[in-house]
Amino acid sequence: MRKIRDTNLMILSSDDEDDCDYKPNSHRSYTKKPKSRSFITRTNPRQPKKPRVSGSRSRFSRDSPNLFEVGFPEEDFEELFSWSKVSADSGRSNVKELWVDKHKPHSLEELAVHKKKVEEVKSWFEERLKTTKGNLINNVVVINGKAGVGKSTTIQVIASHFGARLCEWNTPTPTIWQEHVHNTNTGIQYTSKLDEFVNFIEKIRKYGLIPSSSSEDAKPSIILLIDDLPMTNGRVAFERLQSCLLHLVRSTQLPTAILVSDYDEADSADHTARRLEQLQLSLENAGACKVSFNPITNNSIKKTLSRICRQEQCSVTDEQLDLIAKGSGGDIRHAITSLQLFCVKPDLVLNGSYSTPSYSYGKEDDIDALVSGISLLFGRDETLSLFHALGKFLHNKRETEVANAITPGDAFLVQENFSRLPLKMDAPEKVLCQAHGQARPVTDFLHENVLDFISDEAMDDAWHVSSYFSDSDLLLSSFRGMLARYNEAENVLQSAAASVAVRGVLFGNSHPSPPRWHAIRKPKLWQVEKSMLHNQKEIVRQRFIAYNGSSSCNVSDVATGYMPLLKWLEHRASGFEDNQALVYCNKTDGESCDRMGLDDKESDISDDEIEEW
Amino acid sequence: MLWVDKYRPKTLDQVIVHQETAENLKKLVTEQDCPHLLFYGPSGSGKKTLIMALLRQIFGTSAEKVKVENRTWKIDAGSRTIDLELTTLSSTNHVELSPSDAGFQDRYIVQEIIKEMAKNRPIDTKGKKGYKVLVLNEVDKLSREAQHSLRRTMEKYSASCRLILCCNSSSKVTEAIRSRCLNVRINAPKEEQIVKVLEFIGKKEGLQLPPGFAARVADKSNRSLRRAILSFETCRVQQYPFSSNQAIPPMDWEEYVSEICSDIMREQSPKRLFQVRGKLYELLINCIPPEIILKKLLSELLKKLDEELKHEVCHWAAYYEHRMRMGQKAIFHLEAFVAKFMSIYKAFLIATFG
Repeated sequence: MRKIRDTNLMILSSDDEDDCDYKPNSHRSYTKKPKSRSFITRTNPRQPKKPRVSGSRSRFSRDSPNLFEVGFPEEDFEELFSWSKVSADSGRSNVKELWVDKHKPHSLEELAVHKKKVEEVKSWFEERLKTTKGNLINNVVVINGKAGVGKSTTIQVIASHFGARLCEWNTPTPTIWQEHVHNTNTGIQYTSKLDEFVNFIEKIRKYGLIPSSSSEDAKPSIILLIDDLPMTNGRVAFERLQSCLLHLVRSTQLPTAILVSDYDEADSADHTARRLEQLQLSLENAGACKVSFNPITNNSIKKTLSRICRQEQCSVTDEQLDLIAKGSGGDIRHAITSLQLFCVKPDLVLNGSYSTPSYSYGKEDDIDALVSGISLLFGRDETLSLFHALGKFLHNKRETEVANAITPGDAFLVQENFSRLPLKMDAPEKVLCQAHGQARPVTDFLHENVLDFISDEAMDDAWHVSSYFSDSDLLLSSFRGMLARYNEAENVLQSAAASVAVRGVLFGNSHPSPPRWHAIRKPKLWQVEKSMLHNQKEIVRQRFIAYNGSSSCNVSDVATGYMPLLKWLEHRASGFEDNQALVYCNKTDGESCDRMGLDDKESDISDDEIEEW
Repeated sequence: MLWVDKYRPKTLDQVIVHQETAENLKKLVTEQDCPHLLFYGPSGSGKKTLIMALLRQIFGTSAEKVKVENRTWKIDAGSRTIDLELTTLSSTNHVELSPSDAGFQDRYIVQEIIKEMAKNRPIDTKGKKGYKVLVLNEVDKLSREAQHSLRRTMEKYSASCRLILCCNSSSKVTEAIRSRCLNVRINAPKEEQIVKVLEFIGKKEGLQLPPGFAARVADKSNRSLRRAILSFETCRVQQYPFSSNQAIPPMDWEEYVSEICSDIMREQSPKRLFQVRGKLYELLINCIPPEIILKKLLSELLKKLDEELKHEVCHWAAYYEHRMRMGQKAIFHLEAFVAKFMSIYKAFLIATFG
């Protein structure tokens, strides 16, 4: 009985996990504006792709006999085993199988991934499988790409192509609290997932793989696949993971593929994504070969979808396929799932749009309307990186002439000096929203960079802009601390402040300097504040020097009165004849500020990209 | 030891500058009780000196035996507990602290400390329950909430403790608090008074003061006694015997501000604004309070400005000073002021010289 409850838990949590697969990677879905079309084609890579299917995690199953599970410590193994049975059962009894699994590609031709990439990976493995062991130094390939671009599937298909056995590390399902309590009650010790992973890697590294059934005669060659690195929380854990993987890269004898999912720029404000990047870099430096998979092109997705449609014998129009493909943003797993959903209940999805009488494919606007209707169901949320958003705001691109379309009803009559040409972008608030911009950092970034974009003559503009910043700062700081509890109110204020700052920049900068290369800098303000706090602490510590320690002194008095004098006296005393009165020691200068939410590397991005947007 | 501290009057009898106030205070405390007090006045006018002398008057020399303590208060704020760390100076009879160090959590500090002090009241020699004195610095920097809670605790525990509040500007202290305290305004000392103090110190140190020298130091001091004594000492280190035309070294940050000022006057463009921003950052890093920067900047600018612009520039300085107080990041407002000035000045230049 207990076991069953357990397994139920396992299924639940693993379901969650699969869901999560889609979430963190939400990339581009579809927007309503005509521009977004070009936008999407631009972000999608140029190469055509082959069909592919999701890389499944714990789906070692009857489909692919080559898959073979290792790396689960004994106690997990049992559970997992029983779970697989249960899931298989329930899968059959409940609904039809997920198409993503059902239509998994079985041959290289079926893969939706770009041929060149597949070829690259294939030849890499070929080299390693054919030659005798020990010849090659690097036995690790790191494959990165967004979720749903076919990383795992490619490896699986290649493995089956070579007849190699795929030995997979699947991250164990996370232990949830009830489970943990249950386990401790029954006396099972908790091992962290990272520990398990490290142990596994160590074993592999030292002993290679000991085939589970040693009776097998013709040993097939083995490919080690590490899908999904364990979560690391904190620097220590991460360093451990890194060193463990580095060891693996340096000394493994097995051809190994490590898959890393990229997250979207905009979502990468947290450390994990950055760390993953760092990890990849260090692995590459250690000699691993790196292959990046691009999002899958619309055409290959469409091809795959129509193949599935043929096999499933459901009729979906070309246009609908097109929409699904576009909505998926290069994530084929998402596309297939959408297709399945669509085929289950076709009425539900497109009804609204079809019933609109004006519907016709000829007009772009209508398609857009349709898309916006659909995107609610199919599309992934479109995100922009903060940098693109900032670039948009700062470059302040506007139409060259007022569109005639403005009806008299729409337009306020404004004085000429207040009127501006229409923006060449969505409403700033929307752009902000897509970039997940928080008011404070956005304001700081704009403040740091905007002066570069104002032409040299336009002093008034500079004032306008900075006065709007001042407004926005007021909004941001009102009730600071007080309203922390009432999040709603705070949110409104925050968005208002961001909006004021952004629109202030857009409105104020009426004479933008001619477009040229600009690097976007990280706000110096952050560093300044940090050093200021540091110095302030110093001063607070020193404030008792005055009054002989019998009383304390205001910070400002110390800073403006005592400090300059003391500095001066010291200089005299040590014979400094430095009349440059300002020798500010800025101790914290060297300290890195990269912990401040948005990081250094962003300042390196820059140039062309910004220019382009 | 710096002269500022060395020649600081220890008792109310010794003061040179605010003799009248000192007399009044002395009378006040000889009755063995004193009301809550609010000292206000510009910096360098002698508020803290008077407070220290007053404490000594009340409690005798024991008020001078203080220890510095770094304490953590655990505060139960509804759903969570907050740990607050603050440095206090305390003797057996008084506690001194700057609650504004705690940032926006200052209100908790005010409440907790007063409550705690009220709990253990000292008992004086006659077995009568005495009172403790709490000295709060920089009351004008307290948030509005903190001031409100200060008001309530003041009433509740008035039997067991007396508050001495100290601030630069009473306008930032709420009416409610002001009306509960005896307000003592400490003027900035007159230049003659400063000269007197400087001559007194000179005599004690056995220095030869050339005629007019003390007056010049006083003149440069902006009527801040602290400033005057500090620069007096600097001069002493710089060159002794004094010559009557000896230069009085200015504060480094003030020089820097005037440098910024001439930058602004020389060119008005976004690029220059950006450079100015960098310099303002320098000042802020060194903890020069933004209000003081703005004030100094304005006075430097006014020196070089045409009559007709002065009014407008002052208006904008006041405007942005106000916003700076309301806002969070001073640089935004400082910069906005500089930008506004540049824009006004540029328009003026164009209008005048075409």
